[in-house]
Amino acid sequence: MSIATAAATARGPIPARAGIGLRFPHHRAVAETRPEIAWLEVHTENYLGGGATPAWLDAIRRDYPISCHGVGLSLGTAERVDRHHLGRIGRAIERFAPALISEHLSWSVAGGHYLADLLPLPLTEEALAIVCRNVNETQEFLRRRILVENPSSYLRYWHSVIPEWEFLAAVAARTGCGILCDVNNIYVSAQNHGWDASAYLAALPPAAIGEIHLAGHATRRLDDGTILRIDDHGSRVAPTVWALYAEALDRFGPVPTLIEWDTDIPPLATLLDEARSAQARLDRCNGKAGHADAA
Amino acid sequence: MPTLHELQRDVARAVIAGDDTAAAMHVVADGLAPAARLAVYRNTVVASLTTALRLSYPAVYRLVGAAFFESAAQLFLAARPPRGACLDDYDPGFAEFLADFAPAATIPYLAGVARLDWAVNRALHAPDADGLDPGRLAAAIAAANEPRLRFVPHPSVGLVHAEHPVDAIWRAVLAQDDAAMAAIELDAGPMFLLVRRTADGPAIARLAPAAWRFAASLCAGRTLEEAVATAGPVDAAALLAGHLIDGVFTDFAVDEGGSRQPMETFP
Repeated sequence: MSIATAAATARGPIPARAGIGLRFPHHRAVAETRPEIAWLEVHTENYLGGGATPAWLDAIRRDYPISCHGVGLSLGTAERVDRHHLGRIGRAIERFAPALISEHLSWSVAGGHYLADLLPLPLTEEALAIVCRNVNETQEFLRRRILVENPSSYLRYWHSVIPEWEFLAAVAARTGCGILCDVNNIYVSAQNHGWDASAYLAALPPAAIGEIHLAGHATRRLDDGTILRIDDHGSRVAPTVWALYAEALDRFGPVPTLIEWDTDIPPLATLLDEARSAQARLDRCNGKAGHADAA
Repeated sequence: MPTLHELQRDVARAVIAGDDTAAAMHVVADGLAPAARLAVYRNTVVASLTTALRLSYPAVYRLVGAAFFESAAQLFLAARPPRGACLDDYDPGFAEFLADFAPAATIPYLAGVARLDWAVNRALHAPDADGLDPGRLAAAIAAANEPRLRFVPHPSVGLVHAEHPVDAIWRAVLAQDDAAMAAIELDAGPMFLLVRRTADGPAIARLAPAAWRFAASLCAGRTLEEAVATAGPVDAAALLAGHLIDGVFTDFAVDEGGSRQPMETFP
């Protein structure tokens, strides 16, 4: 079975509704109680092996559309994308037939070592060409369009010359990939670097937006009094981020929206509650647009 | 202006080895020292990889405690960062590292427990594979002339040999059972263990030394005859039957006749 035909057997497309990130502590609860949620997203790298963990996802994906969100492909690596890793991702995609596949505008691999974080790229013409090469290779290998997510960041490089929003739009335009717009990341980076978050949103091409991420972040006061926003996915979505999400929906229309929570993971009910908050805003957006969503 | 390759080399050195001299030159201060900005990433990387090692080596973590584990992990990950993005695979080398780690010398069984931790981790995450069909094996043997059989072990199978009763230590420490821990006789002699995944999770079995050598030889791809010769006196037929029932092997190959011919595999 080819990867392309496997995709056709997926549990349907991701609807323009609210979903939640599925994490290990909730496997059993989701499989057994089948909560009312439109779709689920997993970190692809957690399901590359065998045994009990991917077996949970085999069961859960019978009831929910699934999105596979990668954290280890390192689309920004100067070296080529790791073919061995890409092969494992390809086999996972064949197995789980996700309706969406996404990765990050960042890098994690240098000198063959995996650095276990989403590191920021210098925003240069050289890096843009390399990211586009890696996105093209990934899409050709998987025979699927992927979404690329804007990162949160805590530093900038002297030699960066392209605004991040222009860089991301250029990657989408040159490779045909979609954009996963992480509204919390835009807020965090805008606060950390003094950017205008609304202008960032306005610079993204609406037609390319395939998904939105929402998550909580932390505010850390460093020793010298500097405030840094840290994208720790460890709390409810901040009111300021909800406001930015409303702007995003005004601009992009209803888009599949995910609640992510990775640190101090709360009970499933809390995640479902956050998803209902996102859904209420999606419903309002649908009302304004005057049509029901495609799902 | 650094190339992307140069920049990534410098930032990697900062986040893995803690040497941010070169990387800091590339980073805009903007109200916060470049070193402090890089430290945010370094802290995340060190925490993520330490967590990955803790999940792969849970009994070692319990035995040595958080502070010792974190300092050992930090030294290890700086010397041997992961080669791939699947952290379930990180990293079999930590057991060898602990074997040579001077501060751990006071716990003589630590490296053995680490090897068992790794074997269990592998059993948990190894790829799925179907067990060998005994009927297919019997047919192949019947059809062959003086067959020399080799077997392919299930990816979850691991063989651990340790100088101490590391299976009892592993169970007691993970159950936080102090009474069981106190009752363990450390000089009970060497242990020969076979670890594999079952439907109920990882299984750790104690084998007799000869039976362990037999299984280890077969898992290393030696022929049945070679495995019997290596193991010493064993009931090879009974052991093999047990392994087949347990799904220890997923496939086999037959070399036919006395001379070494290329292996023929039966897909």
